[in-house]
Formats: sequence, structure tokens, C-alpha cells
Amino acid sequence: MMYVNLFWVWGHPEVYILVLPAFGIYSEVSATFSGKPLFGYRSMVGATLVICVLSYTVWLHHFFTMGASAGVNAFFGITSMIIGVPTGVKVFNWLFTMYGGRVRFTVPVLWTIGFMVTFVFGGLTGVLLALPAVDWQVHNSVFLIAHFHHVIIPGVLFGAIAGYNYWFPKAFGFKLDERWGVASFWCWFIGFHLAFMPLYVTGLMGMTRRLQHYDVLAWQPWLLVAEAGAVIILAGIICQVAQLVVSIRHREQLRDTTGDPWNGRTLEWATASPPPAWNFAVLPRVDELDAFWAKKQRVLAKQDLPGGRHKYDPIEVPKNSPTGFVTAFFAVITGFALIWHIWWMAGVGLLGAAVMWLAFMFRAEDEVEISAEQVGQFDRTHSVEVSL
Amino acid sequence: MNVAVEMDDVRQGELLNVSEAGPAPKRIIAGFGFWIFLLSDIVMFSALFASYAVLAKASAGGPTGAQLFNLRTAAMETAFLLLSSYSCGLMSLAINSRQHIGVYFGAVVTFLLGAAFLNLELREFHDMIAMGAAPQRSAFLSAFFTLVGCHGLHVAVGLVWLVLMMIQLSIRGFHGVVVRRLHCFSLFWHALDIIWVLIFTIVYLMGVLPSLIRVGTLHRETGPRSRSRSKVRPPASLCTRSVCCWLRS
Repeated sequence: MMYVNLFWVWGHPEVYILVLPAFGIYSEVSATFSGKPLFGYRSMVGATLVICVLSYTVWLHHFFTMGASAGVNAFFGITSMIIGVPTGVKVFNWLFTMYGGRVRFTVPVLWTIGFMVTFVFGGLTGVLLALPAVDWQVHNSVFLIAHFHHVIIPGVLFGAIAGYNYWFPKAFGFKLDERWGVASFWCWFIGFHLAFMPLYVTGLMGMTRRLQHYDVLAWQPWLLVAEAGAVIILAGIICQVAQLVVSIRHREQLRDTTGDPWNGRTLEWATASPPPAWNFAVLPRVDELDAFWAKKQRVLAKQDLPGGRHKYDPIEVPKNSPTGFVTAFFAVITGFALIWHIWWMAGVGLLGAAVMWLAFMFRAEDEVEISAEQVGQFDRTHSVEVSL
Repeated sequence: MNVAVEMDDVRQGELLNVSEAGPAPKRIIAGFGFWIFLLSDIVMFSALFASYAVLAKASAGGPTGAQLFNLRTAAMETAFLLLSSYSCGLMSLAINSRQHIGVYFGAVVTFLLGAAFLNLELREFHDMIAMGAAPQRSAFLSAFFTLVGCHGLHVAVGLVWLVLMMIQLSIRGFHGVVVRRLHCFSLFWHALDIIWVLIFTIVYLMGVLPSLIRVGTLHRETGPRSRSRSKVRPPASLCTRSVCCWLRS
């Protein structure tokens, strides 16, 4: 139990580390495609901080059956319920961001709405599981499996896919195909609910997790439905691959020449797509949230089209370095070797990483300077920056 | 401290708006990043301390802390480490005034004290394992070797780092990146000191003192015992008795 406690006192904050970046993606997507600033920005930041702190106080809910006293279980049950409150604040903020906005139903928005519906289901079953008395009944049943897939898949995976569709044009210079994206979303969304909703039922009927076979006839129809759902999810994955292939084929039609394909609000959309290594030719001046949006409004109001000549300065940027990649490669070797007690291999991994660190530590230059002419040249040929 | 001095020199009205001030100096960014690393390290050590606290009594019929720990060695280790922190501080001052000799001197003293600490710790580990008190013996010993060994590993890495930094200093002089790294090193070294003070208190003092007091006041136990135990005779005053009760409770 010491190991399990240590594992989850790390592991539970870690699931919030998984989900918080995805929450950030949903905030960006819902504000951009509703044409409104994010509702309750400060409460959003506050909720994130509260989640960070509370995430360290809930780990024992993974094993209420450990045999801790009722007092201990009650403490962790209550904190597990309380952590639902800041998460609920976030969901309401996204809803109010969309409320009264002109929502454009692009692929990232579909994933965001799909997330909100699915995640609230998962969150509600999570509050059920936070009751130690209930947890004793369904511990290690597929009810639990359905619950955590219901929070992690929409929370993290849907967010990653929304972010992938949203920032793909910024990173690669062309948008992803919309139709395949929509098809992928619906396959995923329908397939996901078909696959996991039946598990709540069979979980309550007593089905435990990690079964290699079963001989309970009553579970059969539910599990067939779940299997159909899994097949539909597979179709969604295939659509996703097709989306990428089709988009690469049609990249000339999908090319983003403006740098701002979504009528964005934040500063990354003020640069070219893909952006240059130095991001901004001139350091942007930020006075408010959604700086790029505010700038666009001012330009439109004054009919003051960009074109003013800047004075460019040379920009210092970090030198490209393979250190991270090479170190990660050797760290994987080390981790693998330590798990399987292959000591010579662990030595090789550590040595490789150490040599890389030394090379990094003793390299002569950390930065390269990009000349003012080069910056100016790029800025004139890609005059997308709205006189930042 | 340097930041505060620089802030005082500028009149507040002349300070730029945050968005116009440009990126923070690299010294600040590197220091901030290193503080985050140190905090993550402290999170790890707090987990190890918690495990030790839970398992400290789980000696499975094997030797207990009171029988194994030698307070004199632990006190010497503490002295070495605290003094090395002092010499590390002197090294930082020499870096700020760009004195090569002072930096090398501070680094050599820091290295020797750190190596002396490590030598004592390794000898302690070696003696314990030789008398059958290896990590496999009991949950208490597993927790002990993990916690104290993890700190020792940090000290060893710090010594390697210090040597590498001296090589860098001799090649590149007081280059910005060298100064930043030396600054990070001293943060690291002082953090290790704080961890050690906790180890000395929680593992060694709290492991030995209760039984010391018991030996002095109540009865003598048989079996293997530390050298310090037979020499130290704590006064059986009301005060120590209440401390003893508190520690045992």
C-alpha cells in the first residue's frame, strides 16, 4: 500500500497536469469561435490554481478499500467532491463564453462542445465515486472504467484533437479538411458514448475490470453495444488519418496566406503561418486581453490600414539544438533497462545522456543573431502584422 | 538581493509598463527555472520523508535506528555540509566581485567538504550493510537507504557539477552563461543543505534520542548499540522526560 499511496500521490496531480493544458485549448477555441472574450477570465485562472492545490489532497480516492479509518476516507471523499467545484466553474465559464456569441461550428468547436457534454457525464459519475460507501460497491468494476474514460478521453484527447485542428494552419501553413474532420468528430462522439455508457450498467451488475472471459448472459447485449461503439470509434480514427492525407493533397487550396485563418483574438495569429523563428519582427505592445483582436478593432475603426514602416532591430534567438531529443532517447533506454534490471544497458543509457549534456554544456554559442535586414525582409514579404 | 538593489536605484515613475519592458533578463529566467526544478526536487524528498516517517518503526525484528545510528558521525556530516554551504556562499561573493582566485578557493573548499561528507556517509552505509543492515532487511532500512541515499546521490552529482563548472570557468572566464550556472549551483547546494538538516533531525536525532533518554533514565538494553550511546548521559530532568514522551507518542 505504501507503493500505491506514493504512486497516486504523484498520479492524481498528474491527471490534472494532463487535463489543464486541454482546458486551456478549450478556452482559446470557445473564445475565438464565439467572437467574444473568455467569460470570467480571472475566475478561470483562480479555478486552475485551486485545482492545482486540491489535486494533492485527493489521491486516496483511488483506494478507499485500502482499510483506512472512516475519518481518513471521509476526508478524501470530501476533497474529491470539492475539486469538482472549480472544474464546474470552468464549464460554466465556457458555456457563458458561447452564450450570446456568434458561434461558428468549425471542427475545433465541435470537439469542444462534445467535450463539455461528455465531460460533465464523467464528472457526475466521479462525484458518485467520491462517496466512499458507493466506491466500496463499485471499486474495480467497469463502472470505474467507464468513469475515468469518460473524463480522460474528452478531457485530454478531445482537447488535443481540438488544438490540433485549431493550430495546424499556424504550424504548417494550411488548414485541415473540414468535412473529414466533422466526420471524424461524429464517429468519435457517437462511438464513444456507445462504447462506455453500457459499462456503467454492467459495472453496476457486478462486472469487474480486466476480465479475460465472462459467462454472464445478462451482460452480453450491453457488451455487444459497447463493441459496436468501439468499431465506430475506429471509423473515427480512420477519418482522422484520411483528414490528414486529404489535407496534405489539397494543401494549395487550403493554404493560409493571411496568418489569421479563424479571425483569431490572440497574438499568435498576428504572425505569418508558419511563423518565423523570431515570432515577431517588432515586440508587440500588449495592453489588454485578446491583444490581437483589440488591435484589429482599432485598425478597423480608424480605417488605418497597416503599412507603416518599422525600424527593425536584430533579434537574438536560441540556437537550434538536438539535446532534448537525444537526451530523451537515452533516458528511454535507461528507464527500460532499469525496469528489466539490464544493468549494462542502463549504463549505456546514462553514459549517452551524460555525453550529450557535456556537449551541450561546453558548446561555444547558445544564441544566434538574426540580422535586422533578414527580419525586415521577411516582414515586408509577409505583411500580415497589423502594425503591431 | 541584487534585484532589490537594482529596483531601488530606479524611481518608480520611470519604470516601464510591464508589456514595454521587454523580456526579463536571462539571469532572472534561469534562476526562476532552477527554482522550479528545486521545488520539484523538494516535492520528491517530501514523499521520501513521508515514507520514512511511516516505516521508521517497521524494523521487522531487525536492527532499529537507535541501534544503528552514530550521532557523532551524523554531527560531523552535518558540520561538513553546513561549512561547505558557507564556503559556497563565499564563492558566490567572489563571483559577484569577479575574483578568479576567490572563486577557485571557495570551490576547492566546498568540494573537499562535500567529498568528506560523502566519504563519511559511504562508510556509514558500508558498515551498516556489512553488519547485515542492508536495504532488504526491513521496510525501515529500505526507507532509510532510499531517503539518505537519494540525498547522497544529489551531493555526488553536485560535486561533479562543481568540477565541470571550474573547467568552464577556466576556459570561458566570467561569461554570462558560466555565472548563471554557478548561481544555479549555489542554489542547488544550499537546497541540499536544507534537506540534510531535515534528515539529521528526523532520521538521526529523532531516531536515537528517545532511546538515549530511555537508556539514561530507565534501564540498559542489550544488543548492538552505537558508540555514542554509552558515552552520552542525558540528565533525567522533567523537561527531557516530557520531550521523550512527546517523541515516543
